[in-house]
Amino acid sequence: MSWVTILWSMTASACLTLAVIHFLVWCQRRSTWADLLFTLTSAGAAAYAVIELWMMRAQTPAEFATALRWLHVPTWVIVVSLIGFVRLHLRAGRLWLAWVTIALRSLALLLNFLVGQNLNYREVTALHHVTFLGEPISLGLGVSNPLMLIGQLSLLVWLIFTADATITVWRRGDRRLALLTGGSIVLFSLAGVLQAVLVLWRLVDWPLTESFFYLGIVLAMGYEKSRDTLRAEQLADDVREGEEQISMAAAAANLGFWSRDLKTDELWASENWRVMFGFTKAERLDFNMFLQRLYADDRESIRQAVARAIEEADNYEVEYRVVLPDGQSRWIASRGRVQIANGGKPVRMHGVSADITARKQSEAELVQKRNELAHLSRVTTVSELSGSLAHELNQPLAIILTNAQAAQRLLAQQPPDLAEARDILADIVSEDQRAGEVIRRLRSLLKHGETSLRPLAVDEIMGEMLQFTRNDLIRQGVTAHRNLAGNLPPVLGDRIQLQQVLINLILNACDAMAANPPAARHLTLETSLHEKTIRIAVSDTGCGLPADAESIFQPFYTTKPQGLGLGLSICRSLVTAHQGRLWAQKRDATTGGTTLYLELPVIAEAGL
Amino acid sequence: MSASPGTVFLLDDEPGMLKALTRLLKCEGFNVHGFTSAKVFLETCRAEAGSCLVLDVAMPEISGLEFQQRLTQSGFLLPIVFLTGHGDIPMSVQAIKAGAVDFLTKPVRDVDLLRAVRAALRQSAEQSDQVSKLAKFRERYSRLTPRECEVMQRVVAGQLNKQIAASLGTGEHTIKVHRARVMEKLGVESVADLVRAAERLGLGKSTGR
Repeated sequence: MSWVTILWSMTASACLTLAVIHFLVWCQRRSTWADLLFTLTSAGAAAYAVIELWMMRAQTPAEFATALRWLHVPTWVIVVSLIGFVRLHLRAGRLWLAWVTIALRSLALLLNFLVGQNLNYREVTALHHVTFLGEPISLGLGVSNPLMLIGQLSLLVWLIFTADATITVWRRGDRRLALLTGGSIVLFSLAGVLQAVLVLWRLVDWPLTESFFYLGIVLAMGYEKSRDTLRAEQLADDVREGEEQISMAAAAANLGFWSRDLKTDELWASENWRVMFGFTKAERLDFNMFLQRLYADDRESIRQAVARAIEEADNYEVEYRVVLPDGQSRWIASRGRVQIANGGKPVRMHGVSADITARKQSEAELVQKRNELAHLSRVTTVSELSGSLAHELNQPLAIILTNAQAAQRLLAQQPPDLAEARDILADIVSEDQRAGEVIRRLRSLLKHGETSLRPLAVDEIMGEMLQFTRNDLIRQGVTAHRNLAGNLPPVLGDRIQLQQVLINLILNACDAMAANPPAARHLTLETSLHEKTIRIAVSDTGCGLPADAESIFQPFYTTKPQGLGLGLSICRSLVTAHQGRLWAQKRDATTGGTTLYLELPVIAEAGL
Repeated sequence: MSASPGTVFLLDDEPGMLKALTRLLKCEGFNVHGFTSAKVFLETCRAEAGSCLVLDVAMPEISGLEFQQRLTQSGFLLPIVFLTGHGDIPMSVQAIKAGAVDFLTKPVRDVDLLRAVRAALRQSAEQSDQVSKLAKFRERYSRLTPRECEVMQRVVAGQLNKQIAASLGTGEHTIKVHRARVMEKLGVESVADLVRAAERLGLGKSTGR
C-alpha cells in the first residue's frame, strides 16, 4: 500500500463522511442552507482528492488530460458553495465580488470543456514521472493553455471576496468566527491557489495536493458547525432552566398553565393547574372535562367566550367559579391565546389560570362592609329626617281623620249627604295610598339589602327626594328651586343608594345655610346631560367650602356638633362604586355658597 | 254668642287638608273660606265680626307664627286657632302668648277643633262687642269738661273727695257734684265701673302709676 493512495483516500473519505453527515442534517431541517453548502464543499473536496489521485496514477497523457479536465467540476462546486457559505454563515462578503467570481469560474468551466484538452493544457504531450513520498507519480508535460489565466483570475477575485468578508466579520467584533472560519478559508485557499499556479505553470515538479487544503477548509467549517450544535445544546439547557424557573414562579404565584390542541381537543395542563381544578396528575383531559368543573351558571358564557376567541383568533380573559369534586369552590381568572397555523387556521390555545378566590373574597367583604356602612349612614340620615318623615305620614293621617269625621257628621244629617260622603271616601282612599307610599319609601331606605343595579330616571328621583325632604326645607326656611333637564337617558344604579346620596347633599346644603337670614336660603337642584354622563348639581347659598375643598370628603370631617362626619365620605364611595364622580366647587361671588356635583355615566357607557 | 254660626277662614298649604277641614266645618253650618297661600289670604280677606282663622304653622312662604305677628301688627282683630302637624311646646307657648285662642296638633279630633273654633268665634264676637263699647265710652268721655276730666282722673287714682278738693283748691261739695256729673255722663253706676272704663280708655296708665 502506497502513502499516496492512503493519504488521498483518507482525505477523500473524511470529506465524504462530513458531506454525508451534513447532508443528513440538512434533510432534517431544510431551512439550514449552510448545511447544504457545507455538504457540497465537502463532497467537492472529496471528488477533488479522488481526481488528484487519478492524475498521479495516469498511464497516458490523454488520461492525465481527461482527469485534469474533470478536476474543474469539483473546483467550480467548491468555489461556488464556499461563496454561499461565507454569505450565509458569516453574513459578510460583497455581493458583486461573489457574482464576478461565479461568472469567471463558470466561464472557466465552460472553456475547460470547449477549448483544447482542458483549461490548463492545449495538449498534454507526454507524462513526466517523478518520485513523490517514495513512489513514482505522473505529471503532465505539454503546451500550456493561456486561458488558464481566467480560472486563476477567478480564484484571485474569490480570495479577495473571502478576505474582505473575513475583515468585515472581524470588524463586526466576531473575532473567533473571523479567525477560525474566515481566516482558515483565506489561508488554505491562498495556499491552494499558489500551489495550483506553481504546479500548472510547471514552475515546480510537484503533483497537485490541493485536496489537503480543501480538507483544511472543510475541517474549519466542520468545527464551526459543531460549535453551532454545542450552542444549540447550551440553548436547550438554558431553555430547560428557564422553564424550571417559570414553573417555580408559576407555583409561587399559584399560576397554572394549559394548552389545548384544537384538532384532537386534548388538553395539556401543568401540575399546578390540575391541582387548581381538582384533576389528578396523570388524568387525560379535554375541554369538556374542564367545562364540567365550572359553576353551571358560568359554563355557557365561558364556552361562548372561548368559541369567540377561536373564531376571531383573538386573546381572551375570563373569570369564573369552579367547584372541585370535594365540593370546595374557587374563583379562577384565565387568560388565553389562540395559536394560528400557517394556513391561518387556529390550531392550539395556550393560557394561564390563576386562583383569585382570596381576592374575590376580600372584594366581596369590601362590598359588604361598604353596604353596611351605607346602611348605617342611611339610618342616621333617616333619623335626621325623622321630623320630616313623621310629618309626611302625619299629614295624610290627619286628612283621613278629618274627612272621616266630616263623613260621620254628613251621614248623621237628615237627609244624609251621600254624594259628599262618597267624595270623602274617595279622598280617604287616595290619602291612605299616599301614607302607604311614605312608609314604603321609608322602609326601602332602611332596608338592609344588597346593591341592585337598575336603570334609573334621575329627574324622577330628584323630585322624590325634594318631596322627601320638603318638610325639613320648610322648617329650616329654605326655598327650593328645581331646574331639571327632563328627557334624560337613564343611568345604571342602586335606587336606594342614589337617594341616600341626594338626601345627604340636600340636608348638607340646608345645614350650610343655617346662619343665613331666611330670605337668603336658596337650594337649587339642577340636572343636565354632558356627553355620556348625567350631571346633578346641588347648590346652596351657604357658608361655602374650606380652603381645601377635597377635605370635606375625608372621613370624620364635620362642621356639625352632632355630626359623625361620615356622610360625604360614604356618599363618595357609593358614587365611585357607580363609576361616577362626586366633587364640590365654590360658587361665584354673586350667589356665594357651594355646589356639589354628582356625575353618573348613562347606561350605554356603563355597560353591564 | 252671635246668632249667625260665624265665618271661619282656613289657611293650610295642603289642599287635601283644606278640603277635609272645609267639609267638617261646613257640616256644622259655618261659612268657610279656604286658602292655600298666606299672600292670597292677606290680599283678599277683610276681618268681620264673628270670624276666626284656622292656621297651619308650617307653610312654605311664611311661618304661622310670623303670620300671626303680621296680622296683629296690621290691626286685624282675627282670633287664631293654630293647627299644626308638628308643634312643640315653645312654639305653642309663643303662639298663645301672642294671643292665639288654641294650639291644636294634627290629627285633630273634630270635637276639639269645633270647640276651639267656637271659642275663637266667641272671642271675636266679644272683641267686636268691646270695640263698640269702647267707642261709646270714647264718645261719652269726649263730652266731659276739662274740670270733670281732672276730677275723674283723681277719683280713678283712688283719692278721697277731700283730697281732690284740696289739690284743686275748691270745696268738697263742688267735687261731689263734678263726680256725680262724670258718672252720669259716662253711664256708670259705681266707682268700680268708672275705674274699669278708665282703664279701657287708657287713662289708668297715665295717672295710676
